[in-house]
Parts: sequence; C-alpha cells; structure tokens
Amino acid sequence: MPMHIGEKDFKKRVTKGLDDDFMRGAVRSAQERLQDKRATAADELGDWEDWRTLGSEIRGHTIEHLDYYLHQLSEKVAELGGHVFFAETGEEANEYIQKVAKEKDAKKIAKSKSMVTEEISMNEALEDIGCEVIETDLGEYILQLDEHDPPSHIVAPALHKNKEQIREVFHEKLDYLKSEKPEELALFAREKLREEFTEADLGITGCNFAVAESGSFALVTNEGNARMVSALPKTQITVMGMERIVPGWEELDVVVSLLTRAAVGQKLTSYITALTGPKQLEEADGPEEFHLVIVDNGRSKILGTEFQEALHCIRCAACINVCPVYRHVGGHAYGSIYPGPIGAVLSPLLSDYEEYQELPYASSLCGACTEVCPVKIPLHEQLIMHRRKIVEDEKKSPLSERVVMRGFEQLVNSANLYRTATKMAPFLTTPFAKNKLISKGPGPLKHWTHARDFPQPANERFRDWFNSREKRGEKNAKR
Amino acid sequence: MKVSFFVTCLGDMFYVNASKAAVELLEHLGCEIDFPKAQTCCGQPAYNSGYHKETLEVAKHLVETFEHAEYVVGISGSCVFMIHEYVHLFEEGSEWQKRAIELKEKTYELTQFIVDILGVEDVGASYDGVATYHTSCHMTRLLGVKEAPFRLLENVNGLQMIDLPNRHDCCGFGGTFSVKMSDISEQMVDEKVEHIEETSANLLLGADGSCLMNIGGRLSRNESPVEVKHIAEILNSRGDV
Amino acid sequence: MPKGNIINREAFLANIRAKIGGISSDKPVEKPAWTTEPQKKVLEGYDRDQLITVLREQCKEIHTDFYQTTLQDLSETITSVMKEYESETVVYSDDPRFENAKIEDYITSLNAFKWDRTDREGSIKIAEKADVGITFSDITLAESGTVVLLNDKGQGRSVSLLPANYIAIIPKSTIVKRMTQATDYIHAQVEKGEDIASCINFITGPSNSADIEMNLVVGVHGPIHAAYIVVDDL
Ligand code: SF4
Repeated sequence: MPMHIGEKDFKKRVTKGLDDDFMRGAVRSAQERLQDKRATAADELGDWEDWRTLGSEIRGHTIEHLDYYLHQLSEKVAELGGHVFFAETGEEANEYIQKVAKEKDAKKIAKSKSMVTEEISMNEALEDIGCEVIETDLGEYILQLDEHDPPSHIVAPALHKNKEQIREVFHEKLDYLKSEKPEELALFAREKLREEFTEADLGITGCNFAVAESGSFALVTNEGNARMVSALPKTQITVMGMERIVPGWEELDVVVSLLTRAAVGQKLTSYITALTGPKQLEEADGPEEFHLVIVDNGRSKILGTEFQEALHCIRCAACINVCPVYRHVGGHAYGSIYPGPIGAVLSPLLSDYEEYQELPYASSLCGACTEVCPVKIPLHEQLIMHRRKIVEDEKKSPLSERVVMRGFEQLVNSANLYRTATKMAPFLTTPFAKNKLISKGPGPLKHWTHARDFPQPANERFRDWFNSREKRGEKNAKR
Repeated sequence: MKVSFFVTCLGDMFYVNASKAAVELLEHLGCEIDFPKAQTCCGQPAYNSGYHKETLEVAKHLVETFEHAEYVVGISGSCVFMIHEYVHLFEEGSEWQKRAIELKEKTYELTQFIVDILGVEDVGASYDGVATYHTSCHMTRLLGVKEAPFRLLENVNGLQMIDLPNRHDCCGFGGTFSVKMSDISEQMVDEKVEHIEETSANLLLGADGSCLMNIGGRLSRNESPVEVKHIAEILNSRGDV
Repeated sequence: MPKGNIINREAFLANIRAKIGGISSDKPVEKPAWTTEPQKKVLEGYDRDQLITVLREQCKEIHTDFYQTTLQDLSETITSVMKEYESETVVYSDDPRFENAKIEDYITSLNAFKWDRTDREGSIKIAEKADVGITFSDITLAESGTVVLLNDKGQGRSVSLLPANYIAIIPKSTIVKRMTQATDYIHAQVEKGEDIASCINFITGPSNSADIEMNLVVGVHGPIHAAYIVVDDL
C-alpha cells in the first residue's frame, strides 16, 4: 500500500467521508474515549508540561545529530552480528527485503504493525515475489482481510470500522460464525493468527524507537504480536524510518512514557519489547539472523528546513484524536496513510504539493493538535508555513485569492482607504440583506451562507460613534 | 491608566455594540480611552492564508499606529494574538522586531486586561439570564487566556452560567477555512450548536467576534431562540435584576 | 558472532550531514543538559512498602491479579493461582532463582516443563501447549505495574508469551519506582561495556487490544490472564 490512498480528488474524498455516518459515529466515539484517556494520564503526572519540554528537547537534539546517532546505531547492530541496510528510497528498501526473503526461501511472512512499510508498499513488493504476508496487528489483520482497506489512523488502523462490519469481514473471508462481540472476534483472530506465527519463516517488525547507544529496538504494543514476530521466526527484519531513534536508554524512558500516555492514556502499554541483535548462542527462541533497514524515502528533504520539527513526531496520534476536522471527514479523506494534523504536515513533505496541496488548508487552525503534541511540534504553525510556501514559493494559490490579498494589503495599509471601504460596506451589502442578515451571499460568501447567515455591517461604525462622542466631549474621551 | 482601544475589523463594522460596551466598561473601571484612528485590520486573514509579505506590511502599519500607547486593549483574543505574532514575522534582532516586542508586551485582550492588569474580577455588572460561554481557540490555546472570562462572568449579578459540553472544540470558523472548506466547517459549527442547545441556555457568550459571527450565523439560520452576545456587553450591563 | 554487513551507509549519512550541516559532525556528540527531568521526581521518597501499595493499586488498572506472600507460602500461592486459572501444565524458565527460592522441587512436582535452551522447536511447542508460564521478574516497576524480564540464555522469550496464563514471581527487592530506574540500570550496563539481554521485555499485565471500536479486549496474542506474586523475603 503506497502512502497515497483512495480517490485522487480531495473534495470527493471529503464528501465521501462526510456522507459516511457509520464511520463518523465510530470516529466520534473513539476520539472521545481517547481524548479522555490521554487527558487523565497527563493530569495524573501533574507535571505534563515538563515532560513535554523534555520530550521536545530530546527529539530536537537527536534530529540535529541524526547522522551521528544513525552511525552509532549501525555500528552497534553490526557488532552484534546484525546486518544494516541504508535505503534512500522505498524501492531500495523493498529490493533489499525481497533479497533477504529469497535467500531465506521465505514463504510465509508474519509482520507486526509498521507505518513505514505501508509507506513504501513493502507488502506488495513481497507478494510480487510470491511471499504471503500476514498482518498480525488485529486492526491491520482486519483491514488486510477486507480487501486491503487502507488504515485510517496511525495507532488504531481500523478505527473507521464498527464491530458489525468486522464480523461481516470475518464471516465472509474466514467463515466466522460467532457474534460481533469484540471478545469473540478477538479470540477467533488469536486462534487464526497463532497458526500463522508458528508457520512463518520470516518476521518483519516496524520500530517505535531505536536506541543508538546499544543498537536496540523498542517495539510498543498491547497485543503482543511484535513479541511473537520477534520470538518465533528464524529470521527477522526490522524496518525503521530514519528519524525513529533516541540517543540512549535514559531517553528511551522519556519518549516511551510520552508515547503510551499520549497515544492510549496508559502508563505503559502491555508490552514494550526491546530487542538487541539476533538471539545469542545459549538462547532457544528469537531470530538467528537479524536485518535492519533504515529508510529515508523523502525524510532528508525535510532536514534543515522550517519543517524539521515534523521529524520529531513519535507517531502517538494524539493530534489526530483531538482534531475536529479528522472527526468529521475521517482518515481516508486525507488521501494519505498519515492522516490528521501530522498527516497534513507530513504528507506534502514526503510526497509533494501536486498530490497534497489541499491538506494544509484542511484545518481551522484551532491549535488543538499543537496543544496536545507530547513533543511540542507546532503543528498548526507548520500548516501556516505550508500555506506560505504554496503562496510565495510555489505560487500555486488561486489567482482570485492573490488579487484579494493584494487588495487587502493595500486596504489595511492605508488608513484612509480602510476607512472608506468600511464605511461603504453596509451600503454595498444592502441588496443582499434582510433584517440586517445576509442569507444568500455573493462571491465567496455564498459558501458561508450555505448553512449560516452573515450579518450586514452596521450603519454606524464604532469609529463613527467614538468620533462623534469625542466631539460632543462626553466622558473622558480625549485626544 | 491610559488605554488605546484596538477595535478589530469585526468590532468596528459588525459588533459595534460590543465595542461601545468595552469602551464604557473600561471607562467605568477608571481607564482613559483613546482610539488611534489609523488602525486597520491585524492582518490575520492574510497571515493564515500564507500571504506573509502582505502581512508584514500590515504589521508595520499597526506597530506604528500603536507605538505611543501605554496599553493596547483589543476585544478579540485572536486578533490580539496576531499582534503578538508580529514578533516572529520580523527578522531576528531587527529594529522592527524590537518595536514588535514592545507592542506585544503592552497589548492585551479585554478580559485579560481587566483581570490581570486592573486586578478586577467583579466589574459590578448585573444581567438577568441563563448563559453558556464559548471558549475561542486562539484566545485560550494561543494567547493562553483561559480563566479570566469565567472569573468575570461568575461575578455578574443575576447571571446563571452553564458549562458548555466539549467546550474546547473549535466552532469551525477558522477564517478562510469557513469558505474554503465550508462543508467541513458547517459540520463543525453544527456540532457546536448541538452542544449549545444541550445546555438549554438562552444566551451564548464569547469574547471573539469571529466565532460569534459563525455560531450566531448558524443559530439564526436554524431560527434558534438562543441570543448571541459579546462578553463586553454583559460586563457593561448594570440593569436591575 | 561475526560482525554484520553495513550497506550504503556513507552516502546516506553524507546526505543527512549536508542537510543539517554545521550543526553536526562525526565526532562524539555530547548530550546537552536537559532543562527539566520530571521522570526523576516520580514517586520521590517512596520506600519499598509504599511502592508495593502503588503496584497493588496499579494492578487493578491493568487487569492483573496481585498477591503478596512469603517464601514459605510461595508454592501454596502458585497452586491457588493455577487453580483459579484452571491450569494444569506449566512451562517455566531455566533460571537458578527457582532453585535459590527452593521452589524448584515444588514446580517439578507439577506437570511442568523447564525451558530447554538447546531445543528451539521442542521448547516452543511445549510453551505453546502449556496452560501457564512462570518466570521471575528482574526489575519491577511500581508506577506502571510492569515486570521487566531480561530475557537471555535460558529465560525463553516464549515462556511469558505463548501460554494463556502468566505468573510473574516478584522478589520484593526488585521493586523500583518506574521505568527510569530500569533504563538507568541498562544504560549503566551499556556504559560499562557489558552485554545487555538480547530481548528485554517490559510486561504490563495481560495482552490486550482496543482495535475493535476502542473496546478493551484482554488476551489477543499473548496471555489472557496475568498474576503477580510479590515475595516479601526475596
Ligand atoms: S505530531 Fe505530535 S501529537 Fe501528532 S502523532 Fe506526532 S507526536 Fe503525536
């Protein structure tokens, strides 16, 4: 599955989202639960703001010295006997992974949740060479069964589906006969996936955080699938976006604590699994061979730009869970596997404006995302920076808007012009108004008045009132 | 105390009663008000749309306009925050940035000014009604004014306040967002209106004209009986209860 | 183990260096002094007994059964937990602590299998079939209710993972405040140039998922039930 998902046209995707009542109901209730849990977990700490400060310092420092830490990481992994492949592009990463799969003659591949492998369409690449790839995260498994329905959320990929729909998928694809109770559905998936794990020749994991000082990889899960993937198959490949790294264990503590709280409101998730190299001689289980694939795929384009902070993201989805736009349109409307505020920032950077020019505008700039981000990424400001780039560097804003803005500048810069224009406004709008309300506006106002009335400007402006009061010498109005 | 009043576009053209009330209220609290006539829009519509060169010119104009003020008090948290943002528009360490910092340090939103600078929480207002209050995003999250309006409203004689469910959700205005993404914006304002109706308040208050224009526009289209007022109008009411 | 291959590194890192240039270099990077370290203040001043109270409370949050006992009563407690979980067969780690705690004899009297570090397939198969897996906790985090297993040698990654039920024996002496103390310990090992365990598991209760309508379901891939037994005199 590539980064881009669904319909090409943004407006169509939005309409589809807005019309999907099932999805909107599911998203709304999920958001409310997740928001509550996050807020409770943050409040419990008492000094959440200090934690965020520390988180942002750690991420900032790491990204500023990314070359050093990646170097250190790769040295450590190699010392332990693991192999490291640096991939500039998704294709390079896939070729390498295909090569390992072929060498190991892998038929069945068990995979734990990983966004970067979605981004580079790794599953398709492996299927091309005849491998069967099994998603083992419950949410991903459901989507995979459902004809590769794309994920709509970076932590809970099947958030847009309700349990009845999931029962339907299981029934159709796997002859599931029981009820839509989540317990029964999960138990069924447990049994099915157990078989897959034991048969898999190759395990592929993502990476929440790599630890440079020891060449370790932390996987944060609740289900335990990443543990399965790293205990049972004989060969393991870990694929990481190049920014998913911390200097040492002390920093791992902080970012993991932030991640689990911000993502799901847990102090720690059920399993934090830290893997260091292949299994040792005296161990029975664990991979005999270990490969690390470090993926750039557009990330280095972001380094050194005003968007560098976007690389601080720890993929907790807190910004998605509070976003009112996401709530109404759902994840698929973003057309990217990275939805919500972080998706609107990241997708145009990893791809281009051609594909994602609308996303930076899909925000009311309410700042809810910036407020919750555990590593203090100024998300709404980054959206404004995108808009600036689109307007000033790419010159891609609509001509009509440019004309309006140029006029606006002249208007507000000239006190006289501004005064005249505001004075004229009530008269100019009179033809459209009834009882001082405009219910069918001209020009861009018609979008507004589709569902809302617009007030007609007052006949006497504030400044007129103030002036005449001053002239009459009322109260202490002076000057 | 000398206050230069920053009326904002909406306050000048649409919410004239709110602006008048704010001036009278500040005078009632002992301030001397002046109105620098050269003032225009804060430039936020251009800034948020990505037209930063244009915004820079506007910023210079307002910096000059308010240069000599002792305090600048505005009636929109969002526009006041935009003035604070000027600091980041100018080149680091430049003369203009210095002037922008000076402006920032003396510019306040109305309720913030009353509570934090004048040190007043009870303005002696009375108003008969059952109200709920919409917390505007920019004012609470960006400017960081969270408590001041509630402090002031709690002390209004005769006014009953009801909590607005999900009050931190955006009303869907977002400047050009409301026309560019009007279909999404409509859904957001609809949800806001649902929550307002849940409170069964007959009065919606807010401190930001733009949100009030958005929510009010939807309420009026729905022919809702809920009345919409700027907080200044309530704080300046001194009728019998 | 021979050193692994590193492919494409130089060009890849040179590109990064060019982008963040000036800021970074090949020379060792000093971590800055962080302006705040809230993680060090959590549960400050709590003694072990207070930490046990925190742990016990947290177990309620994480759907984990909590027991506190003494060495003498340990085997009895295990028996009662197994009864509770309707478990007959046991897999346990190859760990001298069972012997040291003098419960190895008790365990072997059960229908039990000791993890065999030389038999991959066999050990995994048995762990798959066992009703309950039992391990010791190496470090126990009170705040989050977490047992940390430094899985190497005979510990077996699968022991705490494959059976439907999991019992962690928690020596009281292993209880610390939070993850910070565990990562400090591991960091110190790294600093000293010691090998760290190839698989370090931070386990917090049974496995679960909220992927279906955000409803918490316990027991997805890993154990469905988990019990912690704190042993006072260990
Ligand atoms: S941007 Fe911040 S809030 Fe959003 S996913 Fe990344 S870390 Fe979490």
